[in-house]
Amino acid sequence: MASDSRIGDVVLEVKNLQTYFVTRWGITKAVDGVSFDLRKGETLGIVGESGSGKSVTVSSVMRLVPSPPGHIVGGEILLEGENLLDLDDNEMNKVRGDKIAMVLQDPMTALNPVFDIEDQVGEALKIHEGLKGPGLKETVIDMLRKVRIPAPDTRMKDFPHQLSGGMRQRVVGAIGISCNPSVLIADEPTTSLDATIQAQYLNLLRDLQEDTGVGIIFITHDFGIVAKMCDRVAVMYAGKIVEQGDVREIFNDPLHPYTEALIKSVPKMEENVERLYAIPGNPPNVTNRPSGCNFQPLCDKENLNPDCETLEPVLREESPGHWVAYCAACIDTHGCKWFPRAL
Amino acid sequence: MTSENGSLLEIKNLKKHFPVGGGMFGSITGKKEFLKAVDGISLTIEPGTTYGLVGESGCGKSTTAKMVLMLEEPTDGEILFNGEDAINASKEAKRNYKSNVQAVFQDPWASLNPRMKVESIIAEPLQVNTSMTKSEIKTKVGEILEEVGLQQYQAGLYPHEFSGGQRQRIGVARSLALNPKLIVLDEPVSALDVSIRAQIMNLLMDLQKEHGLTYLLIAHHLATVRYMCDKMGVMYLGKLVEEATTDQLFDNPTHPYTQALIGAALPYHPDDQKEEMLLEGEVPSPINPPSCCSYSPLCPEPDPQCLENELITREVEPGHRTAHCALCADEYGCYWFPRER
Repeated sequence: MASDSRIGDVVLEVKNLQTYFVTRWGITKAVDGVSFDLRKGETLGIVGESGSGKSVTVSSVMRLVPSPPGHIVGGEILLEGENLLDLDDNEMNKVRGDKIAMVLQDPMTALNPVFDIEDQVGEALKIHEGLKGPGLKETVIDMLRKVRIPAPDTRMKDFPHQLSGGMRQRVVGAIGISCNPSVLIADEPTTSLDATIQAQYLNLLRDLQEDTGVGIIFITHDFGIVAKMCDRVAVMYAGKIVEQGDVREIFNDPLHPYTEALIKSVPKMEENVERLYAIPGNPPNVTNRPSGCNFQPLCDKENLNPDCETLEPVLREESPGHWVAYCAACIDTHGCKWFPRAL
Repeated sequence: MTSENGSLLEIKNLKKHFPVGGGMFGSITGKKEFLKAVDGISLTIEPGTTYGLVGESGCGKSTTAKMVLMLEEPTDGEILFNGEDAINASKEAKRNYKSNVQAVFQDPWASLNPRMKVESIIAEPLQVNTSMTKSEIKTKVGEILEEVGLQQYQAGLYPHEFSGGQRQRIGVARSLALNPKLIVLDEPVSALDVSIRAQIMNLLMDLQKEHGLTYLLIAHHLATVRYMCDKMGVMYLGKLVEEATTDQLFDNPTHPYTQALIGAALPYHPDDQKEEMLLEGEVPSPINPPSCCSYSPLCPEPDPQCLENELITREVEPGHRTAHCALCADEYGCYWFPRER
């Protein structure tokens, strides 16, 4: 994707991020050493199952992890070269919503039911851009037009409950892009939408990206969305990235067996398969995680090697930009030798 | 004991209209309106097969499922089970119907009572509907648990001790307890993690083969329907707009709304960027929908006649029916509706 002209310099770089939750049942390492970067105009997909730490990763980037119990215990978050972890709360408030913004999953809870659309879209503009009066109103109408709300000058007087689900999510999108951020984080923004509305919304996000060159981090569990939207993908499992690389490379030649299994377990609309590959077992409990390889609960017990219990997988760059977590025990084979493979 | 045409479940012109608005005296003042959630659908399900109902939220697919489960009383129409009328049946026959038609619900966090142990959850239908003794029930519960891939000792645990996929297995176990003939699956996998979905779908298909079960699957994810169903129907605003075998429908979708749904589905590979046909407008409200062509709000250039003509159903090929606008009966579906060209 390096040849692609719309992709520019690195705007966000996350290095070895660690976010732990201290609870009375023990320490939950929700994010355990995650590193990735995002370029201007690029879309990075973070895929994983629930509990894999993808949402906590982006909440940490936004510095929105509730503390206590959550603590960012290590790492760096560099937004245009500035480490967000060094900022105090006031400084962070100036960055949040301005340079880095977020679109949440459920538009009904993301919008305040007692304020009209104009107030909510205008809030960030008032605070960050210092707009007021007719200028503010003009910009709000402009933003709503950008997200294709019909008749924006009358619709902005509506309250959230008067809008349909798709329109509400577009309003949330308008709030996200209102201050022209360099990074937009979209946390499963379409899971509550219908298929046709979802397609409309994803196209809208892509058009907005083309216009503004915003870098988008897309959190999702759906490989369909990754295929449609993303330039690069990071697959997360139990708080770690297990594979990261160009979207075509990951789809054509997934190196980690977990990535391969995830892609293969999704039914296709285009063909009639006899039987789906199903990943056996359940993901591990991230609280008081056992040492060694995280994939042990998914593996066939008789295949387990004593090394699996002691050695942690390490990330290796297999080809430029394509990182895979290798088991230190079977470093010569692709991914893990013991993981049940889909054939 | 089967019906003449060999179907297990037959639905004829089923309707459900919910009264809305108009206040307390709405029916007197004439202000009462009706939300036509399901507006005359007919379908048949053969024994041992899976019928998929797809559509977007608000199209009436869940209301249809509720009526089949007798949780909602139809405004009009018939439900025939093994050729016998199920709605106007005797109390005893209804009881029998309800134990033959079971359900698996969408959200395994909401559909299991958190205060009941797994064994009581699965045993409850047996206690209510059969005369089995306590020890017989206990054996039966153990058998069912093993059948859905859980272990016998887990009968003594509470739902919160299980993961999402395991909970859905408990839901499936409960639906199997009475050896039903038909199971209504209302979005059985959409609340689960991607990696778990395949497990549950495979389990459901294995159980179907083993017990000769019949499924009515409610879903919005087209690939799930393609994987699990033999026959499917596409619902839009309370009506069935296209019905065919799964292969026919995916290979040759004739109705423009079906084409739009398939066009909006996500690709499975980054190189599979298909020509998209996007709907511009939004689906109209099912409260007093436009009298005939309910697509007109989605159309870029609706014809005034669209609002006057009646929809007719036509058989495109054997077993493949599509709702047509009478105005453009020569075209498949509606002439004005945006479609792939």
